[in-house]
Amino acid sequence: MRKLTMAATIALLASAGGASAQTLSLVEVITSPPRTEQLRAMVDQFEAANPGVTVEITSLPWGQAFERLATMVQGGQTPDVVEMPDRWLSLYANAGQLVDLTPYLAEWDGTAELTDATKAFGSVINGQTHMIPYGFYLRAMFWNKKLFAEAGLDRAPQTLQEFYDYSAKIAELDGKYGYCLRGGPGATNGYIMMMLNFLGENKYFNEDGTSTLDDPKAIEGLQFIVDMYQNGLVPRDSVNWGFNEIVAGFYSGTCAMLDQDPDALIAIKERMPAEDFAVAPMPLGPAGKSFPTIGYAGWSIFQDSEHKDVAFDLIAHLSSREMNLEWSKFVGVIPIHVGAEQDPFFTGPNFEGWFVEINDDRWEPTSMPTYLEEFGYFADVVSIQGGQEALLGQRTAEDVATEWADYLTPAQQKWLAAQ
Amino acid sequence: MAGSAVARPLTGRAGRGTGRLALALEPWVYLSPALLLLGLVMFVPLIVGFTYAFQDIRLLNPLAGGWVGLKNFETLMGDKNFRVALVNTVWWTVGSVALQFLFGLGLAMLLNRAFWGKRLVQAVVFLPWAVPTFLSGLTFAWLLNPVIGPVPHWLFAMGILEEPYNILGNPDLAMWGPIAANVWFGVPFFAITLLAALQAIPNEMYESAAIDGATAWQSFIQVTLPYLAPMIAITVLLRTIWIANFADLIIVMTNGGPANATQILPSYIFTTAYRKLDFGYASAIAMALLLLLFLYAVLLHQMRKLMRSTT
Repeated sequence: MRKLTMAATIALLASAGGASAQTLSLVEVITSPPRTEQLRAMVDQFEAANPGVTVEITSLPWGQAFERLATMVQGGQTPDVVEMPDRWLSLYANAGQLVDLTPYLAEWDGTAELTDATKAFGSVINGQTHMIPYGFYLRAMFWNKKLFAEAGLDRAPQTLQEFYDYSAKIAELDGKYGYCLRGGPGATNGYIMMMLNFLGENKYFNEDGTSTLDDPKAIEGLQFIVDMYQNGLVPRDSVNWGFNEIVAGFYSGTCAMLDQDPDALIAIKERMPAEDFAVAPMPLGPAGKSFPTIGYAGWSIFQDSEHKDVAFDLIAHLSSREMNLEWSKFVGVIPIHVGAEQDPFFTGPNFEGWFVEINDDRWEPTSMPTYLEEFGYFADVVSIQGGQEALLGQRTAEDVATEWADYLTPAQQKWLAAQ
Repeated sequence: MAGSAVARPLTGRAGRGTGRLALALEPWVYLSPALLLLGLVMFVPLIVGFTYAFQDIRLLNPLAGGWVGLKNFETLMGDKNFRVALVNTVWWTVGSVALQFLFGLGLAMLLNRAFWGKRLVQAVVFLPWAVPTFLSGLTFAWLLNPVIGPVPHWLFAMGILEEPYNILGNPDLAMWGPIAANVWFGVPFFAITLLAALQAIPNEMYESAAIDGATAWQSFIQVTLPYLAPMIAITVLLRTIWIANFADLIIVMTNGGPANATQILPSYIFTTAYRKLDFGYASAIAMALLLLLFLYAVLLHQMRKLMRSTT
């Protein structure tokens, strides 16, 4: 019913507004009904402040969003504004389909308030700014204070050695484990982070395009996870665990540590008292550095848009301090403005870990090579199967890491050749 | 029209020849729309898929393409994952069909007698068949999860597991998870079909067996089974082919893991085609599966012929 009245209002406005009316189309790609409602409410405020402008929101379900958006763009139904996830950015930006926002940002008074990370991650292609990120999904370590206390521990591990030792102590408790390992769907991030931590560098490839994953130090990182599994510091089922299982394992108190993005906080908060857990920065590797994976999404404008200025006004509105704060609380991402951690919502031990990682340079958020077309199969199949074989002791860590490097090297070299 | 063709005066050999030809062709003309439709929806995709198996079709490699002869099949011969998936397919199919059949037969026998509330029980028994497989797969996956589900704790209490863990994470036991879900899902099919066959057995046969002093077991072996045999043969044949092709439960519950322990050929085809985007190789695996199922169908057909000739 509400939709109907809304549609009627839009139709009425469109006909009454005449020549001065402008209709912007916005496509969101990571969708759920309450999320769309939240976005709609934010967009309504924009419409109220800009008479004559209407915004139509199209929601694509995430599972089909990639194909659907690509079809829309190819079919000439290009939207003005699009929600752009990091892994599609290179595709659209390299094809010259996104507006370079640099001149707009130079004039916008909100630009100075954005964090450096926000500006940097919006401008990864050819030095142009193709999107304003709306927030970051960053890995940090959730830890269960109660279980830690039971094991005689009172703080989160700061180094990987402590991480291992603490896990071993907690695993001595009956039916409890140190770490909620993810060995099933989505396990890739965990392996890669650990391999980089031991490598001590935020580097996936050498200059010549060869992968660093078969470096002896990187192999040690994979071996570290394999040891944790084979020595019983993590649940034996975890070889198959995906997102739901690790989160359930954590809030049920089966395993005491969990590396996750802020969006997991929503599920955990519903089931665990806030004083029972905290979020610490990821443990530092042997080189004194840590590389938590970062993911992000943001707002972009398509080159084909006929209303680029108004479209920028819309994303400026969505990226304003007030709107972005509301949005990031709702979606579960780290907000994009300097000092956002001062907001009462983000202060306290539940958010501390993420802000330490952003503000302290011992932590270097790492973005996986999602620009490689072959990376999807690596993430969905190659790394999962190989990782499971290593965990179960069917293959050595070295054998698996070599297979990964052999898969990624030609992909990177192909990509380099095309640049 | 057929009548007019026959009634046409016979004017020499040539005329008679075309008349006969027209007569022979006539039914095919009427059948042609249906045949055309069948050909379009069944054989065209089959043939296109067949030709893919001899080509290099990798969507991620723009240089790929063109005919490569038997290269995909050569790769197949040396593919460790293919062999694992092949063995798993046999294991998955035989395990599922055998258990579904045994439980289905038992259920049909129980339902083939009058008792109070029979209609309600019948309706409930057939319910699993109506549940979408994705839903039953998810439900079983959670039932087997020790954090949320009760099953691992029951198995532990019964002494079957040494600790309450998820069998889906153990490569030696993981296949039992999807098989259990598949048995739950597939028992009603056997129960329905076998119950229908049971009800068709004339009661006199049991009466005369009883008069001859047959025990319950003897009348089951001598009367029930021979009457059921044709139905059993056809349902087992059908179910075997369906189950060998049935990857939904496995994809939902384990996605072929851990470490390929539950990877069957259809799930391997799916990942090769839609994750690796290598349609040529996926088609080659599909051809191998098709060949195996075809051989199986021929074998079973011969067995049925043999059975019929001996009785």
